[in-house]
Amino acid sequence: MNAIIQCENITHYYGNRLIYENLNFEVMPGKILGLLGKNGTGKTTIINILTGFLKPRAGVCRIFGEAMERLTPAAKSRIGLLLEGHIQHTYFNIEQIEKFYSRFFPKWKREAYYELLKRLQVTSTQKISAMSCGQRSQVALGLLFAQDPDLLILDDFSMGLDPGYRRLFVEYLREYITAENKTVFLTSHIIQDMEQLIDDCIIMDYGRILLHEPAAHILNHFRRFRFTSDADEIAPADGTLWHTEKVGNNWETYSFASAADVQRTLADGGAAVSGLAEERLSLEDAFIGLTGKY
Amino acid sequence: MYTSLFYKEWIKTRRPLLLLSAVFAATVAYILLNVAKLYQANPVALWEFIVQNNAAQAGYLKYLTLGAGIALALVQLAPEMQNKRLKLTLHLPLNESKIVGSILWFGIVALTGLYLASGAILLAGLTVYFPAEIVSANLLAMLPWMLGGLAAYLFAAWICLEPVWRQRVLYTIPALGCTSLFYLDALPGAYLPFVPWLASLTVAGFAFPFYSAIRFKQGVQ
Repeated sequence: MNAIIQCENITHYYGNRLIYENLNFEVMPGKILGLLGKNGTGKTTIINILTGFLKPRAGVCRIFGEAMERLTPAAKSRIGLLLEGHIQHTYFNIEQIEKFYSRFFPKWKREAYYELLKRLQVTSTQKISAMSCGQRSQVALGLLFAQDPDLLILDDFSMGLDPGYRRLFVEYLREYITAENKTVFLTSHIIQDMEQLIDDCIIMDYGRILLHEPAAHILNHFRRFRFTSDADEIAPADGTLWHTEKVGNNWETYSFASAADVQRTLADGGAAVSGLAEERLSLEDAFIGLTGKY
Repeated sequence: MYTSLFYKEWIKTRRPLLLLSAVFAATVAYILLNVAKLYQANPVALWEFIVQNNAAQAGYLKYLTLGAGIALALVQLAPEMQNKRLKLTLHLPLNESKIVGSILWFGIVALTGLYLASGAILLAGLTVYFPAEIVSANLLAMLPWMLGGLAAYLFAAWICLEPVWRQRVLYTIPALGCTSLFYLDALPGAYLPFVPWLASLTVAGFAFPFYSAIRFKQGVQ
């Protein structure tokens, strides 16, 4: 099966600041991939590269087998793009924007758009500029549903939404992508929302991919371990432990390894530990464990 | 698809275009009423007026053509650059050059229509009071201004679509220089030998916004 998205050896700088070096990843058909990273790790940058709005210093991304810089109209019609902040053409009203987009997409589903907007307290002649961010997010989502693309690229879809609209957005999106077997590449700074949606997860660190695993693998195997120790410093001996640090009088560390292996690794490092307790983590906690708090 | 792109431009510009049409109509009406008043009151004074104005009654339209060109470019393209909304437009399933070309053609056709309609009404009005020589002198005076309005539109589009502010400032310098060539004070008809050159400059100006659009597409910062 051919990958829907392929990124090969992407290297990019802003001025002299390295954003990525040799970034590689793929998204297979029907998968929902979430891109997580702290501010400034280049989440929007990769979306800009993917959609052809940024030329990287080196490397190539392909969508449906086409290089991102020269996507054909046919390929573009199969990609639904949601810009950060649910940006839309705000000079249109609800009817006009549907009329505008409908002529570009062969599979346009007018009813999908109006079905979603029926639940908003807006009139069909209301201008998008006069809507709240939450209402605009529903317009943007309705337009994506009507376009019926094979691939959705959603940049920070939670941005500016209150909890109600976030929940609404996630629920509609989840229902749609599950029913229609869509491929999705998304970012959000609210990891709780991602947890409900994604199959696979890329966690970015500054300049590189820290981890690319199925979300279920992270949730099932990545653990926080709390323990006590008299040691002033515990230096992880190998790559088994992540972000081992003292919190008050106790210590904590994160690992994919079992409790026994963690105990052994700590002992091998010369730390006398006691009361090792293992905790399951949410994706957000796992993200903190992998990237650190700072 | 093209009709849809034109529809988008129409939604953005319909009120400003209506306003511009009203301003042009009011200016043309003012010029004709002024001429009519002078003609009725004192035909000698009218000829003095003609001599003082180098036979060009259309002078009030001079900088209006320039202002209309710049204003239309801003009305069309400033919303596209706000929040980088142009990404949505360029992501439409059409060749990107054709998308940018459609936006520019809409503006050029709208401006040309505005200039020709107001010019035609003015010249038709002047034929009531003046011989053909004076009317044609007005036509020759207006021609470079109308081309200047179109060139100003294209230069403003070039500056507006540019993604980097520093470059915008740099582009403004040659844009002002080139646009001023269309608005030099001269006797009506003195420009005539230069009109083909000014027309060529206007045609060349059509390429500049595409350069800015390419830079936008490449994410130049």
